[in-house]
Amino acid sequence: MDKEKKYFHALQVKTEKCVACMKCVRVCPTQALRIRNGKVALDEDRCIDCGRCLSACQFGALLPWSDKLDIIKNKKYKVAVLSSSYAGQFSEHISYATAKKALLQIGFDEVIEESMVTELFGMMLHKYLQNSPEIRPVLSSSCPAVVRLIQVRFPSLLPNLLHLESPRSIVAMYYRQKLIKEKKLAAEDIGIYLIVPCIAQVTAVHQPEGKFSNLEDGAISIQNVFGEALEVLKQAVQDKRPMDIHTRGLGWAISRNAASDLEENKIKTLSVCGIPNVIEVLLKIENQQIDHYDYIVLDSCTVGCVGGVLNIENPFIAASRIRHIMNKEEAASFESQEILDMFEKGKFGVEQLEGRSIMKLSSDIKSALEKMKRIHQINAELPGLDCSACGSPTCITLAEDIVEGKSTIEDCVVLLRKKMRPKNNTK
Amino acid sequence: MAEYWYFNEAFAEEASSYFLERPEPVIVMDFTIGERDFVNAGNASSQIKMALKRLGVDHDILRRIAIASYEAEINETAHARGGEITGNIYPEFVVIKFYDKGPGMKDIEQSMVPGFSTADEQVREMGFGAGLGLPNIKKNVDVLHIDSEEGGRTLLEFMIFFRKKS
Ligand SMILES: Nc1ncnc2c1ncn2[C@@H]1O[C@H](COP(=O)(O)OP(=O)(O)OP(=O)(O)O)[C@@H](O)[C@H]1O
Ligand SMILES: [Mg+2]
Repeated sequence: MDKEKKYFHALQVKTEKCVACMKCVRVCPTQALRIRNGKVALDEDRCIDCGRCLSACQFGALLPWSDKLDIIKNKKYKVAVLSSSYAGQFSEHISYATAKKALLQIGFDEVIEESMVTELFGMMLHKYLQNSPEIRPVLSSSCPAVVRLIQVRFPSLLPNLLHLESPRSIVAMYYRQKLIKEKKLAAEDIGIYLIVPCIAQVTAVHQPEGKFSNLEDGAISIQNVFGEALEVLKQAVQDKRPMDIHTRGLGWAISRNAASDLEENKIKTLSVCGIPNVIEVLLKIENQQIDHYDYIVLDSCTVGCVGGVLNIENPFIAASRIRHIMNKEEAASFESQEILDMFEKGKFGVEQLEGRSIMKLSSDIKSALEKMKRIHQINAELPGLDCSACGSPTCITLAEDIVEGKSTIEDCVVLLRKKMRPKNNTK
Repeated sequence: MAEYWYFNEAFAEEASSYFLERPEPVIVMDFTIGERDFVNAGNASSQIKMALKRLGVDHDILRRIAIASYEAEINETAHARGGEITGNIYPEFVVIKFYDKGPGMKDIEQSMVPGFSTADEQVREMGFGAGLGLPNIKKNVDVLHIDSEEGGRTLLEFMIFFRKKS
């Protein structure tokens, strides 16, 4: 396999736009970005699609990628599976049902929600925890950026990941079967598209981890449908077709809500959001320096999925609107013995995930130790300011890049300046 | 000066010759620990662990190192007036030293007893003080050495091998 294309990432790098401001380099939690020869460069092995660099870049050099709305034309019967954060994007005078109907107006035949199955998911999780009492804490696998973070930085915690499809994929699997059976549709005529809040979910659809087959036909960003949905709102309001809304599970777009739902099922749960917090907690779990939890919900974005870079609205405002919808609008209930049967048959199980460790300096300890020694020696010469003017995020990463032959000590601007000044110049 | 030694049988011979010769480590990592600095307590352990992770040390061994060094670092913060931590990394093992500024231990054997603790109110409020730290260190290391007396400084050092016990 071409090494450069080993991992798909839902972001576009426009080097011609890069002004080498270093902002992206500094925010990347896995040190996947460098400025080389004045332009941004992405290390595909390290990127986890968290999207922090996209928010940092103000020059259009790093842009999100997702499927365009017109890909749905390829299929006869088109189903949108909504991320719960979609409900938080519209102002309060637009009902959630109307916001859903707007998607019917722009070409979908059906609009369903990942929030439909959160209660069932809670039951499945309960069983899963009962069946694997030796693994604690179990870590949520719904956020694909977190899954990849664990693969690259915490491979020892891979067995703790919940090896179960996420609610959105469960909905997609179930619905495809249902359409084939009840509507007598041919499998190839059905298109199931996720409407997603972040690039990690786009990547997960295009390069799934641990899935036996691709479950969805595309991932369209909330941003890519929002404009068109607004244009047809009037028609959506007049659309008199019934539209169920599953408001109870919408709260899962907000980090702590998933946890409080599960606590009702007697599952001791912790929820953590934002990559720096997630990393800190994973370190504690790795060291076994954390109180006992059965399940830990880990979300890469602030507040939860409402914080994804492909949303429109500010995450706190979106979260507030979702809470409002949950309190005010009537919830349809959704029960499905079929989904529970599918779970019992292992249909939602995923393969054991493999690490993508970026941590090891070498394949054996001896040569890694020699490398590290050189890294420390070089680091001791560097100024320790972590200014990232060299194009590497910190002094120690520059030292590593030098040892790997990717940079030279001349890249350090601070050292260069010192050298250029005469030594005993007291002026 | 009172001394305490514990050796894991499987590594006893190799370990004894190490402590006689004290060869130069390949990598030395130094840290300063502040008195009652609970905010930063654990940082030194984390950084040593990160380095070992990057060397490719096995997960289970890494976990043992992390647990032992964290407990010792907390003790240095909670029971002593801070001090220094040095991580000495060798190709086959790591030796981590915790050298604090006192007040030392009255009776090391007693301190090693599970449940024995002199932790004060503040330390207990931080969630420490069960008296299980030292026993937990012993359980996870291949060699434990403590050198301490009342009114003096305490040196605690331990050694953990990177290969599994055979
Ligand atoms: N560095 C030290 N200096 C002085 N006394 C110490 C030091 N480390 C441990 N002790 C003494 O040994 C006792 C037992 O230590 P240990 O780590 O086993 O338990 P603890 O720290 O009291 O509680 P826990 O570790 O369970 O939170 C301490 O309460 C203290 O009296
Ligand atoms: Mg202790």
